[in-house]
Amino acid sequence: MNEKLQRLVMHAFRGIPNEMTFDFGTGESTVVYGDNGTGKSTIADALEWYFTGEIEMLSHEGRQHAVRYVGADSDGTTSVEVLTSGALGGKVVFPDERPPDMFHALRRETFLLRGRTLADFVNKTKTEKWKALVEILGLDAIESLREDLQRARNDLRKTTKTAEEEVRVYRRALSAGIDTVTEEAVVANLRQICGMLGVDPPHSLDQVVDPSWITTAVGASAGVSASSDRENLGADINALGAPAFDQKAFAAWNELVSSNRARQLPRASLVREAKRLVETQSIEAGRCPLCGQKVDQKVLARKIESALVEMMEAARDLERFRDPIIEEADGLESAHELRQAIHDRARELQLELPPVPAQPDARVRDQLEALAPVAIDTIASYLADLRRWDKAAAKLGRQISPATDSTRDSQLMMLAALCQQINAWQRAEKKHADARRALALAETVFDAYQLKQKEDLGHLLEEISGRVAKIYTALHPGEDLDAVSIEPWTAKGVELAINFFGSRQRPPHGVLSESHLNSLAIALFLAMAASFNEQLGFLILDDVINSFDVEHRGRLAELLADGFSDWQLIVLTHDQQFFEHLSRRAPSWRKIEFTSWSHASGPRTTKYEASGMLAAARERLQSDDVQGAATKGRRALEELLQEVCEALWAPLPFRRGQANDKREIGELFMGLRRALKEHAKSQLPTVEPIVKHLEADVGATLNVAAHASRGRSGAGEVKSALERIEALDALWSCPACRTRVWHKGTPDAARCRCGKSAFPPVVAG
Amino acid sequence: MHRPSADEFLLTLLESLEDLPPDLAQRFAELLKKDHVDRSAAIRQLFEDAGGE
Repeated sequence: MNEKLQRLVMHAFRGIPNEMTFDFGTGESTVVYGDNGTGKSTIADALEWYFTGEIEMLSHEGRQHAVRYVGADSDGTTSVEVLTSGALGGKVVFPDERPPDMFHALRRETFLLRGRTLADFVNKTKTEKWKALVEILGLDAIESLREDLQRARNDLRKTTKTAEEEVRVYRRALSAGIDTVTEEAVVANLRQICGMLGVDPPHSLDQVVDPSWITTAVGASAGVSASSDRENLGADINALGAPAFDQKAFAAWNELVSSNRARQLPRASLVREAKRLVETQSIEAGRCPLCGQKVDQKVLARKIESALVEMMEAARDLERFRDPIIEEADGLESAHELRQAIHDRARELQLELPPVPAQPDARVRDQLEALAPVAIDTIASYLADLRRWDKAAAKLGRQISPATDSTRDSQLMMLAALCQQINAWQRAEKKHADARRALALAETVFDAYQLKQKEDLGHLLEEISGRVAKIYTALHPGEDLDAVSIEPWTAKGVELAINFFGSRQRPPHGVLSESHLNSLAIALFLAMAASFNEQLGFLILDDVINSFDVEHRGRLAELLADGFSDWQLIVLTHDQQFFEHLSRRAPSWRKIEFTSWSHASGPRTTKYEASGMLAAARERLQSDDVQGAATKGRRALEELLQEVCEALWAPLPFRRGQANDKREIGELFMGLRRALKEHAKSQLPTVEPIVKHLEADVGATLNVAAHASRGRSGAGEVKSALERIEALDALWSCPACRTRVWHKGTPDAARCRCGKSAFPPVVAG
Repeated sequence: MHRPSADEFLLTLLESLEDLPPDLAQRFAELLKKDHVDRSAAIRQLFEDAGGE
């Protein structure tokens, strides 16, 4: 079962100066309402930081420090503590030193959608969508293994080609007098020579390659061997052929990489960043993100999109032209290596050959890597040098070839040399056969791997598409905009598609409004989570309905409440209608209202925290932190008085906006007295002594500034003050069940869960 | 939805393919267990060994 959130505790984090706790029960869904700037998104920030190791908005250089509350004490700790229904909970302290690989699995989970990045996925390029999907689907490791299989196969292709070239050289050397170089033809030829020389002919090639047969049959001596090496060298030189050079393929490559669209490729990441900046409105509206000049926003967006499409097409063409040139480059390298080997063998035999011409400085592969034109003239010049070298080598070859009027001995030596050449040819054939078998195996496995990868992706996309379409249709029923799907696009791309009044649109941006695109983004988010989340059972939607009209807000509320009841949803919104609609549609959800935010005390919610603060005050007193206990005690008293005043509709002077949360404690005492005089005069004598004591406490014991100057001497007084706050608190709680439930504004405002107590407040014995 | 690991993906595939050397899947399983190796070079060697037998 995927884990749900039970509690979130933040300390000196983002907009929270001290500590703030959210209780999600056993994992209930929660809707959080608050105006802009009241701090509700801190919940999303904290969970994003805890579960991914970063807050995306703060991941850019120079922003990381804002994870910590900006006004936090230098020695204070910033932390986020999460309790879940499973093992994923824990506590993270800033700076976060958890290793990045810790988040590898969780990064595949989908759990956070924000209004400001809502359409990020929808607006990604096909390749970027593919990359994002690859990460979410966990295909990155599968893709990495595919790349290794491909590299292994490409290496084997090269090895096989080199082995094939070697065989070709030997076959050419053995081809004198034979139409087709086969084992049978070579043996037949050998038998004929043996017959002419009066040597017992071999039965098979196996016998020829056996050195003892050569020794016995030919009677070769050490001198023979030296001569044979020279003659082998001569044969190899004679078999040299000019490497292939397809000038047209190089010219096509050069034309492409010199074109304007290919020149833009290195700027792809810059253009993508510009696109992101324009779409997320992270730049000044109406100004180019690159140069800052004034531009029309839509024209700029179109230009960026067009540049990205052009870059992708150029990248595809580059791949098409690159492969034949890589083969040409392999051929050039093999030709060089072969000549260098001949040169080295000649030197060992103390024969003179000019140095093999050096390959051009700018190697073809380097140019391909750098997307730069290949210097065709340099290659042509290099090949001319190679031909001159071949001529010099051929001259040497003629010099070391045996004389035509050879004696029987020299003819025997030639036979021995021929046998050695056959031996080398057979080794080369075996090497070539092994390489071909290895390559065939590699091709089989790689092709099947790639095909399975494609088929599996097709099934995955089909499944996600089905879910996306269902959710999207629930948000936009009967609009003739249907059959939403994610479709493959070439080998490494995916794109969204939709039916628009019977016509297939891919991508759908041209026919969908902003709110329809946002619906698509929400549908994708929910479908991804439903399809692939393996660990997280909660979803956070932070202000995602800004572009929706009332009707579609209602549909989304219904979809979330009814279609995702198995999930824990944390919905953050500044839209009161949406909040109320969702509250009505999902009565079992928890509701939190953020009312204000201040630099000193951070966010305030409609939930009062008197009992929690009293507990914190007692803890501080136990650890001899008298000043801390006094501070917490005073905050507990403020919370309690605010709660009671709000519930009893205490007559207080009208204040505009958030100022109600910042009333002086004296005003609250006054409001409480007036409320009691109006609604429960008979109770006033019981309450008044506690109130009077507490007013005195506020002036002395709970006066933090005065207390600080007196050091630790007031521990007893603080303890008494806390007891009085508890006594005042107990007046509005049921003695039987110790609970209270306010029914604001009604004469019987205070109630309890067991129903035994009612307003006026219960006064303890 | 189950997301197979790369190892699981390849080994399942190898077991489904016909006409491969009988122990190819086993060799791959051992290779994929090893850390800190040049995996593409090791795979190439595996194909060469299997092809040469």
